[in-house]
Amino acid sequence: MPTQRLFDRINSVHLQQVTKQYGEHVAVKQLDLEIQGGELLILIGPSGSGKTTTLRMINRLIEPDEGVITINDHNIMDFDPVRLRRNIGYVIQDIGLFPHMTIRENIGLVPRLEGWSGQEISDRVRHLLDFVSLSPESFMDRYPRQLSGGQQQRIGLARALAMDPPLLLMDEPFGALDPILRKQLQDEFNIIKQEIGRTILFVTHDIDEAFKLGDRIGIMSDARLIQIGTPEELILHPENELVSDIVDAKKKFKHMDTLRVKDMMSPITDTYLFDAGMTAQDAVKRMTQTNVELAIVLDNSVPVGYVEMAHLVQQIYYDVTLRDIVEPIPIFSSNDHIASALEKLKDRGGSLGLVMEAERPSGLFFLNDVLLRLI
Amino acid sequence: MQVVDVWDSQLLTMRTFEHLYMFSIALFSATIIGIGIGIIVFLHPKIADTVLNILNTIETLPDIALLVLLLPFLGLGAKPTIVASILYSILPITRNTYVGLKSVNKEYIYIAQSIGLSSNEILLNVRIPMALPLIAGGFRIALVFTMGLITLGGLIAAGGLGTALQTGIYLYDVDTILVAGLWTGVLAVILDAVAGIIESRLQVRYGIW
Amino acid sequence: MVIFSVITDATVEHIILAYSALFVSIVIAIPLAFASLYSTRLASIVIKFANLAQAVPSFAVVAIVVPLIGIGFTPAVIAIMLRALLPIIKNTYIGLSNIDPLFIEYAKGIGLTDWQINRYIRIPNAYPAMFAGIKFAAILANSIAILTAIIGSGGLGELVFEGLIAFNTDKILAGALPAIILAFFIDVSFSILERILTPVYLKS
Repeated sequence: MPTQRLFDRINSVHLQQVTKQYGEHVAVKQLDLEIQGGELLILIGPSGSGKTTTLRMINRLIEPDEGVITINDHNIMDFDPVRLRRNIGYVIQDIGLFPHMTIRENIGLVPRLEGWSGQEISDRVRHLLDFVSLSPESFMDRYPRQLSGGQQQRIGLARALAMDPPLLLMDEPFGALDPILRKQLQDEFNIIKQEIGRTILFVTHDIDEAFKLGDRIGIMSDARLIQIGTPEELILHPENELVSDIVDAKKKFKHMDTLRVKDMMSPITDTYLFDAGMTAQDAVKRMTQTNVELAIVLDNSVPVGYVEMAHLVQQIYYDVTLRDIVEPIPIFSSNDHIASALEKLKDRGGSLGLVMEAERPSGLFFLNDVLLRLI
Repeated sequence: MQVVDVWDSQLLTMRTFEHLYMFSIALFSATIIGIGIGIIVFLHPKIADTVLNILNTIETLPDIALLVLLLPFLGLGAKPTIVASILYSILPITRNTYVGLKSVNKEYIYIAQSIGLSSNEILLNVRIPMALPLIAGGFRIALVFTMGLITLGGLIAAGGLGTALQTGIYLYDVDTILVAGLWTGVLAVILDAVAGIIESRLQVRYGIW
Repeated sequence: MVIFSVITDATVEHIILAYSALFVSIVIAIPLAFASLYSTRLASIVIKFANLAQAVPSFAVVAIVVPLIGIGFTPAVIAIMLRALLPIIKNTYIGLSNIDPLFIEYAKGIGLTDWQINRYIRIPNAYPAMFAGIKFAAILANSIAILTAIIGSGGLGELVFEGLIAFNTDKILAGALPAIILAFFIDVSFSILERILTPVYLKS
C-alpha cells in the first residue's frame, strides 16, 4: 500500500526546547533549532556534542524526552514513524547497503515495498544512478561488495533519494573516505545539491566540509547549540572562544602572499600513480580495490595528466590504455606561490593541479579548496 | 547379475520411492515448522529458552525410543515414522533460524529502520534473507536426522529401505544386507551433498556480512 | 508385566555395550585427531570421510556390519563405534587446530617442545569442542545400542524388539524408558563434567 506523501516541500523544520537524556548523560539539552525550507544546514561539533542525536530525532530513530519537533508545523509524533521515514532521505557514513541485494534492489527496496511496478523501479534506479554519475548499465546488477567505497557512498545517496523525499538527513556521509576522494565527492555533491533543491540537514566534524557545503552552520558542544549562522557571520562574529577555535582554521590562511602551494595541497601516495600503459579496465579494477577515484598517469615516470573513475568506467568496454584518454594537468612545484599557481590554473580553465617535489608527484592542488580557504 | 536380482527381489525401486516419499513429507514439514517456530521464538524472546529446551529434550531421546513411544498413539507404519522424523528434525532448523535471525548485524537493522522499513518488512527483507545460510546449515543437519529415522521406520512396518535391511538381517541374507545397506548409505550421502551445495550457494549469495 | 530383574539385566548389558563402544571410540578417535594435526593429507581424508559417513543412517551402518563381521556383541560394538568415532574425531580436530597460529609460533619461540605445546596450549583450548563431540557420541552410542539388539547384541533393545514383534506395549516401554533415562543422565552428567573441566578462561 503506497505511503501517502506527508509534505511536498519543506517550509521549515522546527525543534523547540528538545532534550534527550540517557540515564545521567544528557545528549541534547533544550535545543532550539530551525531548518529553513530549501537550505543546507550543517551541524558541526566535537563527537558527543549531540549533533547525531539531533539528526536522528528528526526521523524518530530517537524520540526526545522533552520538547516538540515539527515539520511544516505538524508535530512529528503525530505521524507514523515508518511513513515519516519514507518521506525523509537518510544517508550515513557506514552506508549500510544490504550485501544480499544488488544495487537495483538496494535502491529500489522502498519503492518495491510501496508497490511500484518493476518498470517504474528500473526507470527510477536508472535515473538516480545517472544522477550520481554511475552508469546504470555497469552498476545496476552488481552487489555492493563489488563496488569501491566512493561508489557505495554514491549508491547510498541514490537510495536516500529513491522516494524523492523533500527532506534529507546526512550523517557524516563522506567521513569514511580518504581526503582526496572526499573532496571529489563534496564537489559532486555541491553540484547535485543545486539540482535537487531540497532541504538538507548535514552533520560533520570537518569544518572545511562545513564551509564548502553549508548555507548555514550550527555549532554544537556539550549537548547545546552554541551558535548558528552563515559562514561569514561565524567568522566575523564568533559568539565565544569555542566558535572562534572551530572556525579559526580559516583565519591563518588570510595572508595569501606568504602561502606556498605545499601549504594548501592534498598529499598523495603511490596509490594515486598509474602507468600510462594500463588499460582502462585494469585502472577501474585497481581504483575499486584501493578506493580512489582519481589517478595521476605516468609515462616512463613522467606525469602526463590525470584520469577519473567516472570517465574510465565508460571506457572499459573499449580496448584503450590510459595513454589514449588521459586529461592534461598543470604542474606546480611545491614552493610556487599560491597567487601565481591560482593564476595559472585560472588561465588554463582547470580546477586541478599536480604538485611535484624533487621530480616526484607529491600532492594535488584543488582550485575550489584553495578559494574556499581564502574566504 | 546378482545385484540386479537382489534389487528386484527386494523391490528396492519401490522401497526407494516409499523411502523418499516419507522423507520428503517429513523434511518438508520439519522445515516449515522449524522455520516457523524459529521466527516465533525470535519475535517472542521470552519463550525462546523454554521452547529450545523442549526441542533439545526431544533430541536427547534415542531416535528409536522416540519412534516406539509414538506407537501406542499412532499405531504402526508410516505415520509414527514421519511424526518422529519431524519432531527430531525441528530442533536444528529452529535453532539455526533463531540464531540466524538474531545475529544479523545491527547496522543493517538500523539502516533498514532509518529508510522507513516496518519491523515486518525488516524481518522479511533483511533478517530472513541474511539468515538463509545458517538456516540451510540447520536444514542439512535435519536432512541427516530425517534420513536416519525414516530408515528406522522399516522396523515398525513403515516400508522404505529400512524394510529391506530388516528382511536381510532377519533372514541373515548377506547379499540383501549389502545391496540395501550400501544403497541406503549412498542415497543418504548424495542427498546430504545436494544440501551441502545448496548451503554453500546460499553462503555465496547471502553470506557476506 | 515385565519382570524387574529382566529390565535391570538388560540395562546393565546396554550400559556395558554403549560405554565399551564409546571408550573404544575415544581411544581411537583422539590419537587419530592428533595425527591429523601433523599431516594435512590425513586430516583432509579423515575430515572428508567423517563428513560423508555422518550422513549414513545408523540402521544402514548396523546392517552392513553383519556381512562383514557377523552378529553378536563385538559386531555391535564395532557398529556403534563406527558412528561414535566421527563426532569425536571431527570436534577434537577442530578444537586442536582452531587456534591462532601465532600462539604456536610464540610457544615454539620460547622453546616449548611439540609435546608441551599440545599439553599446555592445544589441549586446554580444545576441551570444549572435544567435550561436545564426546557428549554427542555418548548420546549416539546410547541410541544405537538399542538398535544393535537386531544383530544380537542383547540389552534394552532386545526388550524393544521382542515387544515390537508381539506388539506388547509394556515390553516396548520396558526397553525404551530406561534408555531414555540413560540419555538424560548422559546429557546432564556430561554438562556437569564439561563445566568442571572447562578452563576458567574459556568460560563465558
